[in-house]
Amino acid sequence: MPSMKSTRSRAGGADRGGIRKRGPTRTDRDGDMEMDGPGRGKRTRGDTGRATGGGRAQTRDKTVDAIQQAISSSTKESQANIRQSKGAARASLEQFRVSGWKQSKAASNRDGGVESLVAFLERRLNAITKSGPRAKITKSRVEGDSLVVSVRPELAERMLRINGNQFAGIQIAIEPQTANGSLDQELAATTGTSAATADTKSKMTAILAKRYYPDTKLLDLSKLGTDPDLQAMGIFNSTSTESKFFPALMKVWEMGFTSSAQRREAVQSVSLGDNQLANISVVTTLSQTIPDLKNLDLSNNNFKDMHSLIGWRWKFRSLEFLDLNGNPFSADPGFKDTMLKWYPKLRFLNHVEVRTAEDIAAQKKTPIPVQAPYFQDESQIGENFVRAFFVGYDNDRNDLLNGVYDSGSTFSLNVNTQAPKAQHTETAGWDSYIKKSRNLLKISHLPARMSRTYVGADSIRELWNTLPPTRHPDMTAHPEEWLIECHPIPGLPDPSGQSESGVGGLLVMVHGKYEESVANKVEIRSFDRTFILGPGGGVGGIRVISDILCLRAYGGHEAWSPENQAIPQAAAPAAAPAAAQPPVPVAQPGVPDGYGAPGPGKTDVQVRQEQLIAQLSARSRMTLQFSEMALSSNNWNLETAWQNFEHLRAQGGVPADAFLPA
Amino acid sequence: MPAANDDTLTKVSSEAATELVQSFYPALQSNRDAIGSFYLPTPTTILFNGNPVADGSAVQDIFVNQMPAAHYEVQSFDCQIINRAYPTTTAAGVKPPAQMTVKDMSVLVIVSGHVRYGESRDQPQRGFSETFVLVPNPSSDRAKRRKEWLIQSQNFRLVV
Repeated sequence: MPSMKSTRSRAGGADRGGIRKRGPTRTDRDGDMEMDGPGRGKRTRGDTGRATGGGRAQTRDKTVDAIQQAISSSTKESQANIRQSKGAARASLEQFRVSGWKQSKAASNRDGGVESLVAFLERRLNAITKSGPRAKITKSRVEGDSLVVSVRPELAERMLRINGNQFAGIQIAIEPQTANGSLDQELAATTGTSAATADTKSKMTAILAKRYYPDTKLLDLSKLGTDPDLQAMGIFNSTSTESKFFPALMKVWEMGFTSSAQRREAVQSVSLGDNQLANISVVTTLSQTIPDLKNLDLSNNNFKDMHSLIGWRWKFRSLEFLDLNGNPFSADPGFKDTMLKWYPKLRFLNHVEVRTAEDIAAQKKTPIPVQAPYFQDESQIGENFVRAFFVGYDNDRNDLLNGVYDSGSTFSLNVNTQAPKAQHTETAGWDSYIKKSRNLLKISHLPARMSRTYVGADSIRELWNTLPPTRHPDMTAHPEEWLIECHPIPGLPDPSGQSESGVGGLLVMVHGKYEESVANKVEIRSFDRTFILGPGGGVGGIRVISDILCLRAYGGHEAWSPENQAIPQAAAPAAAPAAAQPPVPVAQPGVPDGYGAPGPGKTDVQVRQEQLIAQLSARSRMTLQFSEMALSSNNWNLETAWQNFEHLRAQGGVPADAFLPA
Repeated sequence: MPAANDDTLTKVSSEAATELVQSFYPALQSNRDAIGSFYLPTPTTILFNGNPVADGSAVQDIFVNQMPAAHYEVQSFDCQIINRAYPTTTAAGVKPPAQMTVKDMSVLVIVSGHVRYGESRDQPQRGFSETFVLVPNPSSDRAKRRKEWLIQSQNFRLVV
């Protein structure tokens, strides 16, 4: 898990994650923070936890606040909030909840009476104490029947004294609204250790546990806005907590795993359905936390076009199933083509098969099938050479040179700095090699071409001594990481000078990888290395005539693993959508549209019961009617109903017509 | 044979390699009927992903009849002289050293790049490595488009 600091230092405005600790004291600053634009993350780096005091801390706090402001204002513009509530929260100010005014006469004003209410409150604040600067309501926003106002802390006491005053013919109530501000900070510090933070974290852990289905590897983050636990936490009461909530949730999720491999394994499907998302900015961290997602449900949101998803253009490279039903984008004429283009493994789009398993297999398949290595050796000369060579190159290059290189041996290397690479790998720099590289595309001057060809063991030795130490994988233990091919070749120079028609030898081609350690850093690189071996005076009666090495970024070894000609049966069409059940609204046999989803006239209890019925039906293959009977006679306990069903079925007690048609 | 200096040898070999890279890959891409002309009539070994292919005309057949569109990009290549006095077999037998010129050499070429199969630009770029052995064209034919160098051995492998 990234440390707090590194997360913050990356913040640079673009990272909306906003998982960060606050400075210890947040003094009031009424001023305009826009002067200190977004993304000054650098200045705040490393300041966490230092005591406030003096101008520097002030600056720091202002900077932190500017970032805060940038985060909330940008989410406001993009309307990317999970619940799309508007208005920015200023957690640093004291907040009060004003209620009752909706019943006032002013409520019939065009703005619902907000402006006159604010003016009223300000008049009262100033009426209570006439000294000092004019008291102001710094911020205000409407939340349901309440107006949440923010004032400077010194006005807090005066604010409370307005409680019970008459406003436009009605008594208004004023109470402190502290929960939100502190929640805001706890979300920002979910990785911290304070009791409140731990509480927020444990609540989030509980929410995740409730929404995670390990059997189907599903993380159901749909309908977050109506989640009673999240509502109870007050997540959606302010834009600020709302925008921090999802990144914090992802962080808590990550903390639940000890290794990234374990984390990548845990989830195949995520639902973000029914969240009124207009774009992905609030939930974008999903692609970092769960990059290998296969099934993604984004149904019933408000994605209008490709731009609202553009941040995920190059993410989720394993995505097979995508549901964007119930989004305006689905009606876009270019919708299908765009999604096919973005996600090369996509097979089901809005529950319609858009690529077959064969299509996917064909993508990987090359026009010329990949076969096992071609190895036509003579008396194991090639094999023995290769086995000894790389051990020697790693351990004692000098010995290797003395053994099989002579005054006529030639070596050169070239670096392909642009080569395609394996996914999720970074390319290390090529400083140690680039000045020796004889890439003829780049090295066009004859003197350079000559000086970068190394002829003779001594000249090669001089070069090899400057190249970084290497460690090639063990050929016996990791044969899959090597591809070695070999065949005889005629017309080689005869070192004895006796044969005018030349001598025969071997052409040996090796592809693989090695680790290189320079300055305590280990880099993995791929290489292609071709040798021409001829008869000579070296060890085993051979000599290296040519040794030509190409270096490139690590590209894995999947490319040469022989293709299975048969289409993989495991990837049968039903696999993808089945994995996304149950809460992802996938067409389930016998389940009508809208079943299990809220609708007009349906109570919450009904909706929940329908969901349970659908789940039992999916598991037992019983019809909805029989599933309902089974559940209602078991107090709506899914597990008990399931166990009784199994028990009954084992005894042959379930009638045939209880099951869905096969 | 006149004693050639290193300048000339380097020039000849690297020009042979450059000529191959600049003409062979474009032919695979858009002039597949010409593919056969790049090969020695009796090449030693031709391999594509481990599949042995008999000769140049068989390679051409595969590309003309079986291969989808392919877009190659060479990103790096290098060459070395294997034999400065390559014994070319002509109609009159093996060319004696006395008749050899500076161009009677065999050249090892290694190429690294990527290929994209199919018309769509969204198909993945596959990394490849390819090794060639070039030898002088043994034919005495003086046709205008006669190639100076022909492929004696070839091994293509997808590596990424």
